[in-house]
Amino acid sequence: MSDFVLLENLTLAYGKTIAVEALNLSINQGELITLLGPSGCGKTTTMRAIAGLMPLRGGKVWIDGQDVSRIPPSKRQVGLVFQSYALFPHLSVFENVAFGLRLRSEPNLKQAVMDGLEMVGLAEFADRHPTDLSGGQQQRVALARSVVMKPKVLLLDEPLSNLDARLRLDMRTELQRLQKDTGITMVFVTHDQSEALALADKIVLMRDGAIEQIGTPEQIYSAPVSGFAADFVGFETILPDGKGGGQAWRPGAVVLGQGPYNGTVRGASFAGERREYVLDSKIGVVKADVSVAHPAFEIGQTVDFDLPPETAVQLARVD
Amino acid sequence: MFENRAVGLALTLPAAIFAAALFLVPVGILLSEAFRIDGSWSIGAYIDFFSSARNRTVFLRTLKLGAFVAGVSAIVGYAAAFVIVSLPPTSRGRIFGLVTLPLMISPVARTYAWLVILGRTGFVNQILVNLGITDTPFRILFSETAVFIGLLQLFMPLMIISLVSAMENMPKDAVPAARILGANWFQVFWRVILALTREGLVIGGTLVFTGSMTAYITPAILGGSKVLMLETLLYQRVTVANDFVSASVIAMILIVMSFSANLLLKRIATARKSR
Repeated sequence: MSDFVLLENLTLAYGKTIAVEALNLSINQGELITLLGPSGCGKTTTMRAIAGLMPLRGGKVWIDGQDVSRIPPSKRQVGLVFQSYALFPHLSVFENVAFGLRLRSEPNLKQAVMDGLEMVGLAEFADRHPTDLSGGQQQRVALARSVVMKPKVLLLDEPLSNLDARLRLDMRTELQRLQKDTGITMVFVTHDQSEALALADKIVLMRDGAIEQIGTPEQIYSAPVSGFAADFVGFETILPDGKGGGQAWRPGAVVLGQGPYNGTVRGASFAGERREYVLDSKIGVVKADVSVAHPAFEIGQTVDFDLPPETAVQLARVD
Repeated sequence: MFENRAVGLALTLPAAIFAAALFLVPVGILLSEAFRIDGSWSIGAYIDFFSSARNRTVFLRTLKLGAFVAGVSAIVGYAAAFVIVSLPPTSRGRIFGLVTLPLMISPVARTYAWLVILGRTGFVNQILVNLGITDTPFRILFSETAVFIGLLQLFMPLMIISLVSAMENMPKDAVPAARILGANWFQVFWRVILALTREGLVIGGTLVFTGSMTAYITPAILGGSKVLMLETLLYQRVTVANDFVSASVIAMILIVMSFSANLLLKRIATARKSR
């Protein structure tokens, strides 16, 4: 079903500060969508508005064909896994997962809770208290607590950001499996482009309270529409064409040691297989990395470089 | 904290000696007075005390006012604390300052202010008369209502402070998480806020209850001799009647009531928690 979640001219504000302005977004049923952007871009605010935790300054939120703009969070049938997990410390793991089910007098409560804990691999922790669990385990409890409610939409706020690298990979796989198994519509908020690229069916790149670009991970990664979008996915050297548009290169595409341009090395760092350089040049700041097989450049040294057109991405706008 | 326990003990010793010599021992002697009749141990003084209808009235009134003030403080305190913790930090500081401001003003001054406000020609009665609600001014002063109002204003800040700090320690998103899981506001309060702030409620409740019970100036000024509470009765027994035995009995009752209130509140808190 298309337009399963529909944000229509959504405007959100904190006091006089507009956080999101006239945003339009459609999410299909069963889709895993990512709201991606730097902090302050309005992604979390938008997510809170879908959940009903944020009063709307303007516009509407539709879920499953119903205008839920004035419906309180308790009746929206959405799930939210908070960045802070927000487990109830006075309740056991079992009671945390049972919290919502008890409120609606679920007939098969025990079974439903244990199924939920089974799903996240924490069945044997049912009697523990959240404070006895590791961060990763707490997050899985929070996930189970939301999923057992069978929400129409599951919202996840930076679910991977508090986990260490290995747990992050586990959790990512788990979320994908969960989404495949349950077919639940998921909206996932992150500032980390690699997370978004790895997980999402569709990425919504946000900037200053508006949508910058919507696309599949491939589109976002290889065909950014603007300087902002390009920079966000790693095209760090941007060369304007003087007419508003321009070209952009990834650090690996910049050729150092030869070419028509030259610049002064401002920064150099060793990154294992590659060395990363920041150059100041007449055409702007250039970020490059080259194989360690190349001889190293010193800070302050003037280096020739080339920006080969065939490795560039074309930008409609450079701002 | 100290590598050598003896050092820690030695450091607390002066304070311990001070407290023991100048507080515990005299209090012990004073209180034991109430258990002695003609040199032998007895609880006769207590039986005497409670056999007087007037004393029973004073005792029950003290209990009732203490409980009422604590109860109303809790209700108002939760509302106030919830608003305060949801404010942005700068205005939170300001409002919190406003709440604690009365604590910095002498209780005598505050209580006299109530005389002005609640008096026959005071602010409240003027409004009531001008609005045509009553022709003759209400007699608010020297009633339980006046004492209640005075005590409430005196001690509510303590409840608010306890509840604010308890609420600040709640997990940041616990309330929205409960909302999203389907809880209405009543359920959010009962299952999450109350559950997570019980210790603050116990502390605030004990402070307000014992504070109200043992306040002297407020009931003395706003209640006068018509609305005696245990504390004003105690003072009267000593200064007017030179009756140290009754005074000791009252002091003992007040101590027992304070401790019981604390134990009871703690018991309620832990009983709900272990469910």
